Amino acid sequence: MLAPAATSAADGDNPSAAGRDTLVECRGLAKVFGATRALNGVTFDIRPGETLGLLGANGAGKSTLIKILSAMHRPTTGKIFVEGRECAFQYASDARDAGIATVHQNIDDNVVFGMTVAENLLLDEIARPGARIFLNRGEILRRARVIQEKLELDLPLTLPVEHLAPSRRQELAIARELVKNPKLLILDEPTSTLSEREAQKLFDAVQEMRRKGIAILYISHRMSEVKLLCDRAVVLRNGMIVSEHQSPLDTKAIASSILGELVLSTVRGSREGRGTAVKISGMRCRPHSPEVSFSMKKGEVLGLTGLIGAGKTEILEQICGYRPLVSGAMEIEGKALRPKDVADAMLKGVVMVPEQRAMQSIFPGDTLWQHCSIGLINLFSRAGFMERSREIAFARDVIKAFRVVCPGAEATIEELSGGNQQKLLVGRWLQQEWRLVVLDEPFRGIDIGARGLISQELRRFSEHTPVLVCSSDPEEVIEVADRVIIMVDERIAHEDKASNLTADSLAEIMSGAAFEGGLQPIGEAS
Amino acid sequence: MADTSARQTGAGTNEYSRPDGFERGKAFVYRYGLLTVLVVMIAYFSATQPFFRTFANAMIILQAASIVAVVGLGCTVSMTVGGFDLSVGSAMSLSIMAAAAAMVIGDVGGVPAILIGILAGLAVGVFNSLLIVLARVPDLVATLSTLFLVNGLTLMGVSGQSVAEGMAWNGTTTSGKFAPIFKWLGSGKVVSIPSSVIVAGLVFLFVVGLLNYTRWGRAFYAVGGNPIAAAAAGIRVARYRVSAYLISGGLAAIAGLMLAARSNRGDVNVGDPYLLQAVSAALVGYAVLGANKPNAFGTLIGAVFVAVLINGLTMFNFPYYAQSFVQGVLLVVALLMSYTLGPRRR
Repeated sequence: MLAPAATSAADGDNPSAAGRDTLVECRGLAKVFGATRALNGVTFDIRPGETLGLLGANGAGKSTLIKILSAMHRPTTGKIFVEGRECAFQYASDARDAGIATVHQNIDDNVVFGMTVAENLLLDEIARPGARIFLNRGEILRRARVIQEKLELDLPLTLPVEHLAPSRRQELAIARELVKNPKLLILDEPTSTLSEREAQKLFDAVQEMRRKGIAILYISHRMSEVKLLCDRAVVLRNGMIVSEHQSPLDTKAIASSILGELVLSTVRGSREGRGTAVKISGMRCRPHSPEVSFSMKKGEVLGLTGLIGAGKTEILEQICGYRPLVSGAMEIEGKALRPKDVADAMLKGVVMVPEQRAMQSIFPGDTLWQHCSIGLINLFSRAGFMERSREIAFARDVIKAFRVVCPGAEATIEELSGGNQQKLLVGRWLQQEWRLVVLDEPFRGIDIGARGLISQELRRFSEHTPVLVCSSDPEEVIEVADRVIIMVDERIAHEDKASNLTADSLAEIMSGAAFEGGLQPIGEAS
Repeated sequence: MADTSARQTGAGTNEYSRPDGFERGKAFVYRYGLLTVLVVMIAYFSATQPFFRTFANAMIILQAASIVAVVGLGCTVSMTVGGFDLSVGSAMSLSIMAAAAAMVIGDVGGVPAILIGILAGLAVGVFNSLLIVLARVPDLVATLSTLFLVNGLTLMGVSGQSVAEGMAWNGTTTSGKFAPIFKWLGSGKVVSIPSSVIVAGLVFLFVVGLLNYTRWGRAFYAVGGNPIAAAAAGIRVARYRVSAYLISGGLAAIAGLMLAARSNRGDVNVGDPYLLQAVSAALVGYAVLGANKPNAFGTLIGAVFVAVLINGLTMFNFPYYAQSFVQGVLLVVALLMSYTLGPRRR
């Protein structure tokens, strides 16, 4: 034996020289799915108590890496060491026992519906082998209170999970993981479904956990978050770690590292639209809420933004026939529009890309060409019969125009990464003229490369068709839109050219703080 | 074995790292397994049983398959919209009773009787649609209640007795007859092909055309695949679900007429067993050509498969009471092919 490791308590084979101050070390992790290599030898380490950012484009392998670390997948080759000990995870519980806890991207995957908050908090304990078979509700509540006090939670314990807002569900999901006393907490895109203000609460929580000495692996597409929270960041590209960045993080260097050669120059700047193509007057989110009126022009992208609950979705859904018009009127090119349903809106030239991709746009198991033409079946049929060769040609056009990375038009939609799915699902509508195209949160969960390409195409498309983009992320809105409308509390609080706004000023207006028109700032009782 | 050479060492072993040969074999079985078994089976029966390979026997097999195929194609359509029609058997019974009673008791002609029978089936479809689309009752339980309702209605309508020529009704003997055109449906022939086979063939062409080649078919599958996304793509989901149940009820009625015409009588609830036969044909169809979804060609193969199997086994003096068991085996094998060998949904 050589000289014993000086201070390390870990025995067995010491993974690396730095082993004594690493918490988790991944060495040469690779994962092969059929013909695709999702991971191609990933080596990095996480130190005790640090917050490490993990960045990468869609399809870079982030999800696969997280699934391996949380024992949902086994690596094809490579090893994981936790505190110097090699871990070959078999079951999800093995990762937990090793001190690794994960909060997955989809919040609702982390909580069990139909159960109360208290039951969710105790779920892992209840499910553990050898746990007591009979537990009465009083006992569950009592033990949940103990946890609640320890974690300083402010959640209604007896409320069923489905009655919690998404952000509270996430709080619960994180609490559920913290119950296990993890050494490492993996947060996979925790802000992707949160509004700005909810995200701020999450950041506070992350910093609190750091103070308690919990290491965090923080995965996000949003550079500002990573810069704010992380001590260090690594970038994953094509299944490999391509760079490591120390705090203070250089976001520009990180961005180019994420994209590799794919860097896109987005043309920004505010264009002046032409004429008035769409006029909306006296619309309301709900009966008795304030009136909302605005207009849209050809030659500009209009951004609609606001916090979750500000009323954006209600307005969009009325325009596109997803819900009946509460009041007011719409006019498109001088003609009144009052869609009975989505199909009617589309016949009248109004099309919408809905917010929730998996739920509202994807047909499981269907091919790319089927997805491209499903909304246009009248266009691709003659006397009722579909013309498949034209459909496939159309799909190829979309794939080419939007640089969708895919094996071909016959591939199924699940084979694509989220960003490429979104490129296809947006691109299919932008191949012909419409009277109005509306997109609800089109950049959710997609990388900056895909985002840049979609914004660029939207701007080009808006030359002949008015485009309305709805997003609660200030950065995204400023990037894509020429003009921005900000909603606060179901009314239009502000309207300005995008070039006059910054992400910070926009966020301030959204929160209601900077509004000069006499609105009460939200959240402050008075 | 090719299988053992796939074994790898250490923790790296997983389901994705088997060699290509295994994957290719799996893919072949997934796509062509059931058709291969069918071909081999036909070849074996033909080689060992001289009567099996005659044209007459082929027609017997197709005739046996035709009714199941027609009901099954209806089920297939309701399955494409993500539904499930449990009421097809009772819709059959109702149409049988309606048509037979119209001829024997009402003494109407053949064509009106056929129309009445089909209308009865469509009425079942309308009722299902009301429950499912308008009242938002889940498909399975809605059509289950329809099953009982329609069964009861059928029995009540004819006071629980079978309808046959010369039956007693309200104290008198009926004088109505089964019309020739109706009888033709059961025992007629066109160039030595039984008319029921012709009808089933036409129904098959209609359903295959509808589901695979028209925009309505694309919409049917889209509604079944993801109703929310279908609505977002401008498809009027409710209309397609209603149409699917109408087609299902209508085809069940046609199958009922074929059955009644074969025996020239309207026996009570004679359509009931066809529900399970038809559903199993449609489910076996999932495994044909790796479709892994309801499809017209698969359902046809599913119906023919059972008919071939039972016809052949009967020639080997296979006991009739073991037929259910054999069908069960077939269904399990088919389901294993589509669900176990099929692509994993992540």
